[in-house]
Amino acid sequence: MRPYELSLAAAAEAIRARRLSPVELVDSVLDRIEQVEPQLGAYVTVTAEQARRAAREAEREAALGRDRGPLHGVPAGLKDLIDVAGLPTTASSRVRADHRARADSTVAARLTAAGAVLVGKTHTHEFAYGLTTPQTGNAWDRGRVAGGSSGGSAVAVASGTATFALGTDTGGSIRVPAALNGVVGLKPTYGLVPRHGVTSLSWSLDHVGPITRTVEDAAIVLNALAGHDPRDPASLATPAVDHRPGADTDLTGLRVGVPRTYYFDHVDAQVEAAVRRAIGQLEALGARLVEVDIPMTRYIQATLWGLVAPEASAYHEAGLRTVPELYQADVRVLLEAGELMTAGDYLRAQRSRTLMRSEWGRMLAEVDVIAAPTVPITAVRAGEETVSWPDGTAESVSDALVRLSAPANITGVPALSVPVGHDTAGLPIGMQLLGRPLGERTLLRVGHAYEQTQPARALAPAAAH
Amino acid sequence: MPSADLTPPEAARWAARAGLPLPADRHTAVAATANHLHSVVALLRELDFGDTPPAGAYRAGEEQHDATV
Repeated sequence: MRPYELSLAAAAEAIRARRLSPVELVDSVLDRIEQVEPQLGAYVTVTAEQARRAAREAEREAALGRDRGPLHGVPAGLKDLIDVAGLPTTASSRVRADHRARADSTVAARLTAAGAVLVGKTHTHEFAYGLTTPQTGNAWDRGRVAGGSSGGSAVAVASGTATFALGTDTGGSIRVPAALNGVVGLKPTYGLVPRHGVTSLSWSLDHVGPITRTVEDAAIVLNALAGHDPRDPASLATPAVDHRPGADTDLTGLRVGVPRTYYFDHVDAQVEAAVRRAIGQLEALGARLVEVDIPMTRYIQATLWGLVAPEASAYHEAGLRTVPELYQADVRVLLEAGELMTAGDYLRAQRSRTLMRSEWGRMLAEVDVIAAPTVPITAVRAGEETVSWPDGTAESVSDALVRLSAPANITGVPALSVPVGHDTAGLPIGMQLLGRPLGERTLLRVGHAYEQTQPARALAPAAAH
Repeated sequence: MPSADLTPPEAARWAARAGLPLPADRHTAVAATANHLHSVVALLRELDFGDTPPAGAYRAGEEQHDATV
């Protein structure tokens, strides 16, 4: 196995045991970038020289016996909404052509302190306001959408051009591309990972989290990211927790909620079958399946849009008045139309959010996790705009992609997407595990236990299409 | 077209009132998207909120935030 193919945990173990040097690992990933990046377009910027320098430094430290932990010398990609001092944060937008971050975001600083090596900034749907990331091709079929908005991060991890990456998630933007590219994505509890220095789409709903090849890797990255920072007003002051799952895969006594409503409505038959098979695996590991009814489903889309649209337009108020022509057409019209929403619309969404959080709290008192599809479809062809369902209804691709991920943003509960197979076209399918607020350890334990029942996953073919 | 929908000139007037003058070639597209958003969020009017407060995050006594980006 070549170094770029290693999971984070395997790379960390090899580095710690001095079987692999950070320089070898970073060089391997940079070579892989040279090989497949021209076909995939996952990166806005590749910081090869800085990465090689940081890898040499990590190697020197390791030789001196200084071990910064499991991220020591491990190459990472950061979604280009995340500030890294001295680099532009382009948000994949012409609006940010002259931008340069003066300081590190909290998450970038924490990764650096933990020894991670930045290999580049990854593409986002412009300013995270969309679900496809059109600059980037899907890692399994580059003629299909990467998903979004953290499409570059998911494709980089899936194709071996980053050992792990960070994304942001406002309506599903970590989990959607993770599912569509066959990698793991974790949207932590709202407030667990500080957002200071991360470009906002919607302050009420924005989250930062890891995209990785395995559930264990997501836990390792979360350990480095979590923790209070007063510069993010939503940041939670919670005790430090080791999120890494143990070796035990016994789920006896765990109650897994299986939605009777919403999460399996208008879902592709192959996606549903793969997710139900995975839920069956959880049962085989000892979990007890409990049917649950998802509350207030009629108001999920309305609540999401009632929050996102006014907040995004507020964030872009200045840009929309000075350089509107620099935004892409799809984003510009949403920002403009968002200006026409009323305070009443916004407050109803905020009040609906309060009700929804309370109803979800009641539901989550009855189960330990909920298992459901992450997205109702596999990756569509680039340019496709509509999904048709067997009952004759149709839905925009964006509405379909965000439909099953939005509840965790509104309620703030943690949600993990785990690959659970492929459809007959070879496209990945993701299962979503949702938990109680600050229930990441449980989610990661369940996701890891499921992964142990499956053969190790190979990287995406990337350049094969 | 539902009666609550904005016509393109009305959308332009609402935008101007929000401090966003729109060029004429934007009126139709903005009206269409604004009407779509309205149709989505208007569902929330069905809810009986009673005394439910909004889910704001404001707390007195927090740190000062740097207004620069």
